[in-house]
Amino acid sequence: MTDIHKTIVVTGVGVVSPYGIGMGCLQAGMLSGESCLEPTRDVYPGFEGTTAQVRELAPLEELSSSRYSRTDRLATVAAQDAMANSGYDSSTFRDSGIVMANTVGGLTEIDTGIAEDPAAWYRRPGSLLRGASYPFAHVADAVGEHFGIRGPRCAISVACASGAMAIALAANMLLDEAAPIMLVGGSDPLCPFTLSGFNSLRALDPKPCSPFDQNRNGLNLGEGSAVLILETLASATARNAKVLAVLRGWAMTNDAFHTTAPEKQGSGLADCIKLSMEMAEVSGDEIGYVNAHGTGTPLNDIAEANAYETAFRGRSRPIPVSSTKSYFGHCLGAAGALEAAITIMAVRAGALLPTLRLADPIDSPGVDWLRGKVKRQPLPLAMSVSSGFGGSNTVLIFGSGRS
Amino acid sequence: MTPNLPPVTITGIGSVSPYGPLAGLIPQSSLERPLEPSPITAWTSAGPRRAFLVQPFRPASVVPGLKTRRLDRLSAWALVASSLAIQDAGIDLSQVDRSRVAVVFATAFGCVELTEAFYLSAAANGWNGTDPTTFPETLASAPPSHVSLFHGLRGPNVTVSNKDFAGESALIQAASLLRHGQADLAIVLAGDALAQTLYSWYEAAGLLSPACYKSGPLPEAGGFIPSEGVAALVVESSGRRNVRPNVRPYARIGSGRWAAGGQPAEIIRQMLGGAVPSLTVCSGNGAPCATSSTTALAREISGDGAVIIPPQPFAGGLAGTGALFHLILALSSRPISGQALLLGTAGDSGFAALLLELP
Repeated sequence: MTDIHKTIVVTGVGVVSPYGIGMGCLQAGMLSGESCLEPTRDVYPGFEGTTAQVRELAPLEELSSSRYSRTDRLATVAAQDAMANSGYDSSTFRDSGIVMANTVGGLTEIDTGIAEDPAAWYRRPGSLLRGASYPFAHVADAVGEHFGIRGPRCAISVACASGAMAIALAANMLLDEAAPIMLVGGSDPLCPFTLSGFNSLRALDPKPCSPFDQNRNGLNLGEGSAVLILETLASATARNAKVLAVLRGWAMTNDAFHTTAPEKQGSGLADCIKLSMEMAEVSGDEIGYVNAHGTGTPLNDIAEANAYETAFRGRSRPIPVSSTKSYFGHCLGAAGALEAAITIMAVRAGALLPTLRLADPIDSPGVDWLRGKVKRQPLPLAMSVSSGFGGSNTVLIFGSGRS
Repeated sequence: MTPNLPPVTITGIGSVSPYGPLAGLIPQSSLERPLEPSPITAWTSAGPRRAFLVQPFRPASVVPGLKTRRLDRLSAWALVASSLAIQDAGIDLSQVDRSRVAVVFATAFGCVELTEAFYLSAAANGWNGTDPTTFPETLASAPPSHVSLFHGLRGPNVTVSNKDFAGESALIQAASLLRHGQADLAIVLAGDALAQTLYSWYEAAGLLSPACYKSGPLPEAGGFIPSEGVAALVVESSGRRNVRPNVRPYARIGSGRWAAGGQPAEIIRQMLGGAVPSLTVCSGNGAPCATSSTTALAREISGDGAVIIPPQPFAGGLAGTGALFHLILALSSRPISGQALLLGTAGDSGFAALLLELP
């Protein structure tokens, strides 16, 4: 029997993505197979590649004591969209907690001059406030202060698993009664620092990426933010909130293998998948779709395929898997939250999204690599998988509100 | 944190700080003379500048076999502090299911030294000529990743931050992982390394104490002295600790709360559920008003008779990540027992409180 005090539900989803603001344009774009990846030259001089950018992000009214970085603005707009999506204004969330993931923090506001001569850089007008936005904790504060939300605030930075891990930790906080409602998500913008970093690692595909393809050639970076509103079913029921999905299970593991490379057999990720299914009390057969991490790098995708082979061994038919990074790239600290939002959308719409540009999939008999057209079918349970540098893995399982 | 959940226990302490690399509590001999800020020599400035600094040491001399040549100081200190805490807890990791060991790391600024280095490589070579070995190490989560990698820890690996209460929130998140069965044991780390960009920001913002510019007795107020270091605690679920003989429990963590606003006294009293701690350890982060607001809140909660250990200058110099050092310094400074409150405030903008049971 469901314990409504221990059942975590999603009652709002807000997104800012290269498709625009809101789930509506994200869903319309993805279901129509539209890719936001495009040739890019303007992120820094000399860069030529492919990215997906958020256009027309309107400026926010800033508090006098603070300056919003692009990371802050993406998160704040997504939080606003989540609250609007839930049908309540910000006063409902005054005592809520906030967990916001990111990896970039205020690096968008800083340039090389800060390292060459910090004292001179801080003498520039506005630089003290720009520098103050650097810590990755600033994003949670920006969201909280903008909306007057005063519950516990926490920032998470666990490389590309950040957004998903934020959701897992926020769910723990609800079980701990740390706050009645949690606003949780991730946010990361494109910036020269990260684009240069991935470029230096030769991890970028200069063309639109093709995750899980035999001929994949790396990742593309995107930007965006997603914020979910989480609460217990008891809380949602008490305030008559609409339940969009149920967070059935979550788990976190670490590969303890390498600082950047995943363990080739994907054993840490397979363990994480199994732990999440144990928590959700579901079998591999019950998972209808996996929204994969699927970066498109040679090492990630093969490790991930191996993880699915291990974790879903014994399943009666291949597990349907796709990477939605093929639509608007890898949004780093926001990726896990955006992909959680996409997974919820898939569950609600009964839509299995294909990986775009997947022509010749990795040979993996236990996996049904989704490609071509969107598959329409009832989807009671779906999984979102995230991994990151440093070996961190996080898996979330969402069920329809009806289940 | 739900009060009726079983408590978790701190069983090991390790640290790298101006007191040096240490397993366990800080020795009385070190505490007897006040810690003084040291001159900064890592960068040039217009006149002498001082801070509470970790003196250089060779990590492999503290932890045999430890290789830190490619790491920044923060990652190296995290490795040393975690190793010392595990040693202090008497844990043989070869006998532990390491898939059940979590690492939770609190930092305000992450690997800022390497972020500076990456910017310098971009300034020197252009953004298309940056250093690929530096980039992954600039991530705030690099230090705990190295801890997991070095010790083979395959449980959750989490990096958290909060402007004022990163250390407290790491401790609360770690306790939560144990209580929800997502790990049996957690290494909780908190700290930062001081870099030129940070120090220059504090200076430009007018936050520094006069003691940063000249030696002499530490002033009571008028700014803070930046500091650096990493503290590590081993935290175990009580069930696990009970099966290990001869374990020294430093403290049990009963419950914890933090928030960015609201009525702190009311929320903390609700958390205490009628308990009246006889001791409050203040964990202010060095903001000029932290001492007075934290002390006032402690008196409001526990009454005038309660013993209050004020924020310590060194731990207060760690912006937001000093809580673990405040606790270690308090446990090191005097024999204490009973219920204690680890309490931090940030002016009017928030608080963090953990109820501790000291043996």
